[in-house]
Amino acid sequence: MIIRPVPGVPQVSVWVTYRIGSAYERTGTTGSTHWVEHMLFKGGGKLAKGDIDRLISRLGGKFNGFTDKDWTMYYETIPAEHLETALFVEAERMRNASFDPKEFAAERTVVISEREGAENQPEFLVEEELWATAFHLHPYHWLPIGYKQDLEGMGRDEVYEYYLRHYAPNNGILTIVGGVDPEATLALVRRYFGSFRPEMVPRTPPLAEPPQSGERRSEIRRPGPVNYLALGWKIPAWGHEDLPKIVMMSAVLGGWRGYNFFAAGSWEPRANRLYRGLVEAKLATVVKSGFEMRRDPSLFAISATLAPGVDHGEVEKKVDAIVERLHEKPPASTEIERARELIRAWSRYEVDGVEFQGFMISQLEVLNSRDSFPGFLQAVERVTADDIQAAAQRYLTDRTRTVIRYHAEGGS
Amino acid sequence: MILRPQRLEVEGGARIVYAPNPASPFVSFQGSLPGGVTAERSGEEGVANFLSRLLLSGTRVHTTRQLAEALEGLGATLEFGVSMDAVQFYGRCTKRTAAKVFAIVADCLTSPVIPAKEVERVRAEILTEIEEDRDDTRARAQQELLSSIYPRGHPYGRDPRGDPEQVKAIEPRILLEFHGRLYGRDGLTLAVAGDVDEGLVRIVIEKALGTLPANNARSGPPGDPDPQPPLTRTVDLPHKSQTDIAIGLQAISRGHPDFYALNVANLLFGVIGMYGRLGATVREEKGLAYYSLSRLRAMRHGGHWAIIAGVNPARLAGAMAAISHELDRLNDEPFSEEEIENGKLNQIGGLAVHLDRNAEVADALHEIEFHELGLDFLDRYPGIVKGLTREEIVAAAETHIRKRDCSVAVAGPLRGEVPSL
Repeated sequence: MIIRPVPGVPQVSVWVTYRIGSAYERTGTTGSTHWVEHMLFKGGGKLAKGDIDRLISRLGGKFNGFTDKDWTMYYETIPAEHLETALFVEAERMRNASFDPKEFAAERTVVISEREGAENQPEFLVEEELWATAFHLHPYHWLPIGYKQDLEGMGRDEVYEYYLRHYAPNNGILTIVGGVDPEATLALVRRYFGSFRPEMVPRTPPLAEPPQSGERRSEIRRPGPVNYLALGWKIPAWGHEDLPKIVMMSAVLGGWRGYNFFAAGSWEPRANRLYRGLVEAKLATVVKSGFEMRRDPSLFAISATLAPGVDHGEVEKKVDAIVERLHEKPPASTEIERARELIRAWSRYEVDGVEFQGFMISQLEVLNSRDSFPGFLQAVERVTADDIQAAAQRYLTDRTRTVIRYHAEGGS
Repeated sequence: MILRPQRLEVEGGARIVYAPNPASPFVSFQGSLPGGVTAERSGEEGVANFLSRLLLSGTRVHTTRQLAEALEGLGATLEFGVSMDAVQFYGRCTKRTAAKVFAIVADCLTSPVIPAKEVERVRAEILTEIEEDRDDTRARAQQELLSSIYPRGHPYGRDPRGDPEQVKAIEPRILLEFHGRLYGRDGLTLAVAGDVDEGLVRIVIEKALGTLPANNARSGPPGDPDPQPPLTRTVDLPHKSQTDIAIGLQAISRGHPDFYALNVANLLFGVIGMYGRLGATVREEKGLAYYSLSRLRAMRHGGHWAIIAGVNPARLAGAMAAISHELDRLNDEPFSEEEIENGKLNQIGGLAVHLDRNAEVADALHEIEFHELGLDFLDRYPGIVKGLTREEIVAAAETHIRKRDCSVAVAGPLRGEVPSL
């Protein structure tokens, strides 16, 4: 449990993070973690269906849940004097969700609807194909939403079992940030969570992905008006000693939007090599790049929306040239200083307010790196031009690259 | 009192509102001036958006690259965009870098050079976005709805980007003329939150904004849109997985006396928690959709109210029936005292919750100033909400959310006729 009092602010943000994500699933039950998340808004124990909604909404609060590959989070941001309401909700959610069979059946079509809505977006199809192609064995192969056939076939009991096994105090992290008194908060936490016993949480690690030893490619052909391209390179897990170098490499190539993916909003970095090489050069209308903070080895990815009349090959060739340039020559000191300044700035922006702080603390804690994060930021500051070049040489190689071409066919 | 905003009026008509938070290590800002879609004359459709996207593309003293390098070298963010009623800008910087950042903001607003190469880049981006949205069931249904409920050609009903032919026809000359006519201090509104104080506002920001010309022409109102008969429009996109529904009608402006009552009615109908009454039926009870919600868009010269929902194509009829039922309930089973009380408490409690971050504070202050609600608005708002009666809220729903006048737009894989409401 982490309590961060912020004197004088009228809000409190309560986050509960479970060490369970889609990477803990197995084939046949993909999407079960996300389905559990949906069911945990439907009551159980002292909460009737709709009570979470009513209790938090009456306070003017915000609440939601997120299922990631490595974790699942729930949060409430409410007026600080109502902290107890959020703790009550989260305690009931942790152990007492009812998984009413009728509710489970109704939610099946909702989660399938969520997947179908995502399928309407070409970018989702590209992302799903990228991870599926890059990871053959590791469960990063699928996205948290899961596969439709699994969502159609999964039964209530197996999802409920999954919940019972993984939702326990010893598999969760409670983070409280805001205008609260630590001692009074601790007393409330004891009142609501103190009687919960730890569970024997299964600790079978996800299957490790064998080393990739050659480029992988896949193509998607769908009706539509616009072509897309995605490229991903294998990078090590969060916590690896090379991550500070990869952060700087990422910033030099595509700018920096912070470690908190909620914070950047619609802001687009433009003083970087990919924007200049692809967008300014009118090869793409949008380019995005970066990596997710992952527990296991993951991807550094670049995605582009192709400009009208531009061929996938032209864009790939340009990306190759940009990567090759970094292989051959370290970045200039001006580029490095700009990247550092951007990263420093985002370390301020992404912890603005109690809600962002709650997310960042939770994300770092679930990755076991909250205590080491200040040291990590210092390590980023120390990264040199040669380090960036070396990181590019080591990780941006064709042997570990995956390329997805999305071909729009026939117009809409 | 949640915030103590202050106002400074700059010679020439600009207004700056600011709310200091000394504990914050940076500044968020949001501004606007009257160069939005409603300022476009006939033949200028799409120009406001096009121009706003060129404002970071070079000025008389900075190239495109220099602007990006200067901002990111300072660790600052800055974006421009357009709404129906204004051109907008927003960003973040520190007190230390504010002088340079606001000088850049003023430079971008005052002296864009509209380089031909950048014009073609932005044109390609806009055309691609329009094409993407034509293939996007949600965007397509919503745009079809807006063009149904507003009169033909009314700015609130058209795509703010213009149609592809209009975008292809926009020339630098038209962009510069639009800029010269509208970009100035008169009507400029800027909200600043975080590590800001009077000194920063007076010495740095006022000085920067003072470089804008004072003689811009305020746009005239587009006129209250005439009511339109309800229409049903469909767009068949057979390759998609989900069908999107948009249902709605013209509603009221932000300044309308019924605004606060209708706002609470809308929250109860399709916003609060898991999307209000609508979400409780369509999502929670029947499992028909992942999202099914309502929106009230109250702008300066009018507005609209709409439902949007994404459903499996085979469940379209069921979703339409459920939505129709909820619209009927507004009359047959008006909001109860308990529902009304919940809605009021949500709005009162939400004041603190929604002013958590600097950007949220800047956004709220900007809206208050843009709609001339008064610096004491945040103090008055709980009283306004508490003072609403059940009768006023129910009447606002009955008056402004009329099922018989709703248009319907559906985009996605179509299987037979779209059922009527």
